[in-house]
Amino acid sequence: MKKYLLIPAIIIATFLAGNAQVYMAKEADISFFSASVIENIEAHNHACKPVMNVATQEVLFKVPITSFNFSSALMQEHFNENYMESEKFPFSTFAGKIDEKIDFSKDGCYKATVTGMMMMHGVSKKITATGTVTVSGSQIILKSVFKIHIADFNIEVPALYVQTIAEDIEIHVDATLAPYVKS
Amino acid sequence: MKLKTVFFILMLLACRSLHAQDLWNLLDSAQAPVKEFTVATFKTTRLIDQHTLETVGKNTLDFRISHRFGPLNSRSINAWGIDGPVDIRLGLEYSPDGRFMFGIGRTSVEKMVDGFLKYRLLRQSTHGGSPLSITLFASAYRTGLKDNNTAAQGYDKYKPETNRWSYAYEIMIGRKFSPAFSFQIAPWFVHYNLVELITDKNDAYGVACVTRLKFTKRMAITFEYAYRINEYSKAKYYDSMGIGWEIETGGHVFQVHFINSFGLVENQFLAHTDTKWNNAGIRLGFNVSRVFTL
Repeated sequence: MKKYLLIPAIIIATFLAGNAQVYMAKEADISFFSASVIENIEAHNHACKPVMNVATQEVLFKVPITSFNFSSALMQEHFNENYMESEKFPFSTFAGKIDEKIDFSKDGCYKATVTGMMMMHGVSKKITATGTVTVSGSQIILKSVFKIHIADFNIEVPALYVQTIAEDIEIHVDATLAPYVKS
Repeated sequence: MKLKTVFFILMLLACRSLHAQDLWNLLDSAQAPVKEFTVATFKTTRLIDQHTLETVGKNTLDFRISHRFGPLNSRSINAWGIDGPVDIRLGLEYSPDGRFMFGIGRTSVEKMVDGFLKYRLLRQSTHGGSPLSITLFASAYRTGLKDNNTAAQGYDKYKPETNRWSYAYEIMIGRKFSPAFSFQIAPWFVHYNLVELITDKNDAYGVACVTRLKFTKRMAITFEYAYRINEYSKAKYYDSMGIGWEIETGGHVFQVHFINSFGLVENQFLAHTDTKWNNAGIRLGFNVSRVFTL
């Protein structure tokens, strides 16, 4: 009979333990950069609030595409209309795990890699990115710079713009997380 | 016993996956969907002759060249209208905030200088926002023509100066139904300070509709029609109707079309279109829009 009691006990325990270990972004800046001979293209997104489970070292990102801000209104329109098709694919997501075991109880800056599935423009692809995890008091700062090949995500660049838009886009992630408190 | 173990493992797995799902739910609740304004209901501020509900982007200057050839029924000797007479409008249009815009232009027909104001009163948006966009438009026109009959008549019809002026107003109501299909309807009103005939009325009004059907990411078929409601003149005028092809290449938008109107500004094409589709009184035309972010 004891075993039957054990099951709900484990379920409850996982829930309790789970919530206590969830960190959520206070602020995050997801940006990308395309460098080419003709022009540099850059856009920032502050609407994404990544979450992280420090027990399992899982991280989740869900980036609303229309929230990328460009310096040029026309560029932003083209980005949404012609390249990302944001009405069809409103979000890009990343669900991954930090590969190295990180001691979140000790302050410090740790080099880390994260591996997981990135979904963008309706295409899922496994990616690995390098960066740092900084633990400072109750805050965790995640930083990473990695490159993606836009052709991998079915994003077509017309022949006319091959020189304007880089084949590899650099993505910068800078997020400050704090323990999640249920409000 | 074995069954119980399997059940136990299954439950554990269920817990774990539930857990990952919880993390997603948490993220979704923290990231409440934000209201986004619908972009690119139309590609530019004009469809063919008609204004669309769009304004140019923030701090954006739009240099526009609109050109109409002569009518197709002017026959081969005139290269079906290519030889002219032609009409051209050059325009410079600007918006400081992406919502309010103004522009000036000059059209060769009637030596017309125009200036307009345009304001996006209501913008279509997602997540419980407005299902429609509404844009207000007001424009003034001044003709620079000389009255050639001054000597014969004994007076100059362009004196006083106010006789040179006319005005147009529109309320554009539209919606982007899908990424490919947008539609707009616009009641319009034109006032002429001076009319040609004693029986002519100074005011004309009607309803115009414009629509766009995108068939690739960068190309669309466009159609517009301006219906006239009141009888404002005994002279023979027709509704303006155009069908076109629109292609966008980065900073440029090219529009190639057939339309029966020769004039390029509202006080000309809305109420003073004097050639018709029936006898090939239509003409080839094109618009080029080039935007600069300042």
